[in-house]
Amino acid sequence: MAQYLLLLYNDPREWAKMSPEEMQKAVEKFVAWRKKLQNTGVYVGSNKLADEPGKVLRGHKPVRITDGPYSETKEVLGGYFLFEAANYQEAVRLSQDCPSLEFKGTMELRQVDAMIP
Amino acid sequence: MQGDGTNTLQGTAIASSMIDHLFRSRAGQMVSHLTRMLGPEHLELAEEVVQESLLKALQHWSYKGIPDNPAGWLFRVARNAALDAVRHQSLVLEKEALVEADYLRRNDTAADDPRVEAGLRDDELRMVMMCCHPTLPREARVALSLKTVGGFNVREIARAFLAEEATISQRLVRAKRQIRDLNLKFEMPTGAELSDRLQSALQVIYLMFNEGYVAQSGEDLVRHDLCGEALRLGKLLADSTIGTPTSKALVALMAFQAARLSARVNASGDLVLLQDQDPSLWDTRLTAMGFHYFAQCSEGEVISEYHLQAAIASVHANATNPKGTDWKMILELYDQLMALNPSPIVALNRVVALSQVRGPEAGLDALQPLLREASLKRYYLLPVVRGHLLCELGDQASAAQQFRDALLQPCSEPERRLIQRRLAECT
Repeated sequence: MAQYLLLLYNDPREWAKMSPEEMQKAVEKFVAWRKKLQNTGVYVGSNKLADEPGKVLRGHKPVRITDGPYSETKEVLGGYFLFEAANYQEAVRLSQDCPSLEFKGTMELRQVDAMIP
Repeated sequence: MQGDGTNTLQGTAIASSMIDHLFRSRAGQMVSHLTRMLGPEHLELAEEVVQESLLKALQHWSYKGIPDNPAGWLFRVARNAALDAVRHQSLVLEKEALVEADYLRRNDTAADDPRVEAGLRDDELRMVMMCCHPTLPREARVALSLKTVGGFNVREIARAFLAEEATISQRLVRAKRQIRDLNLKFEMPTGAELSDRLQSALQVIYLMFNEGYVAQSGEDLVRHDLCGEALRLGKLLADSTIGTPTSKALVALMAFQAARLSARVNASGDLVLLQDQDPSLWDTRLTAMGFHYFAQCSEGEVISEYHLQAAIASVHANATNPKGTDWKMILELYDQLMALNPSPIVALNRVVALSQVRGPEAGLDALQPLLREASLKRYYLLPVVRGHLLCELGDQASAAQQFRDALLQPCSEPERRLIQRRLAECT
């Protein structure tokens, strides 16, 4: 078993167009999907990232700190889910019904490389 | 250990489910609440703040699950966002609003505190009263009520009214401008003004209901929701201190009709006429609600149109099979309704009842004067009723012509299919 990090990118303007009823439906879908991960025992954690762009640190003595990164597309990294899967194939299978895709989001799936014992 | 596990599971089950339409109904409440706090001239700001709070909920809850008190969460976030906006835009609040905001901030129990709940219902009522101000055009009153108290967005309102989004947008923008320009107050009117406003509100609510009911298309749930919202607002009014027997009559009427909503459309989305409906599909909870409010509405002196319409609906609700409908009673009620409001539509409905009591020929006779009625010229149900009566008399050819005429007039898709079926039966 390895851990997989699923990064969710979306265009906030897509969300903003939704009506209250549509937003509730979307929340319910996410809740159900997250619950599915929990029920199968593979869920590790998930978090929403703050909307404002963070900081980019570069250089060494002195460290240069800038705002960003600013996304070149309209999509921003909104948050992530961390879960366990046997391999990429299974991780993809678990990810592909994530509701984010329904709302025109893009997702990036990365395996967490475990420490070689 | 095992016991703990079960408890946790139950806990998650409760926390991860939401009441149906929580977002929409709380949106309406929050907009009403914030509009009172910020003043009606800042209605738009209230709407923006609420939309943003719902968006926050969507984003946070998607990753972290639903909080224990979802409504309280929404209120806290919306209120804080409103207070931030007040600071940023240097808005001046009435002292009362500030004190209340402070109380609510310190007592974070929006959804549970009965005092707060009652206050929120009052806010909603005031919002309905403001949206139904007689100086606003009637179409604007409906759209505005749906947008502010109902929590529908422009797209949904446009879909429900089969209108362009731009049309609805404009209507709303103009109405909000009027609210500012006329300096409309966010308060409960009193005396004669109250009864005027109440009448307007009932009219708006019934219009909302009919819009959802008449052209129910099955696939589009927004129309179903429109009926639900009208019923909710009707109850809000009827159950409040300003609730009159007339408002209870309207709730009874809507509940009786709403009870038949799911029986009105079959699995393929086609309309099913009342006489062909399976009464076991009627929503008994709503029928019971209808009878409950119907019993209460007779308490006053006034007999309104809603009273008579509700009485007619109650006769239908009492019939457990179509053959058992007391048409004599219904005809009598239509006669009373004609005395109160001799409109061509009521007259047409009366013809249907009359033909049930005295036969199709009597029905066709009574239809004669209506054929010259200008307001019914493009009304598809006039030839439909005529075709139906001719059909019963065995004149299939004339009946078919009537159904063909009906198809030339505007009507909804499911209704069109129903008429086409009737036409096919005649030819």
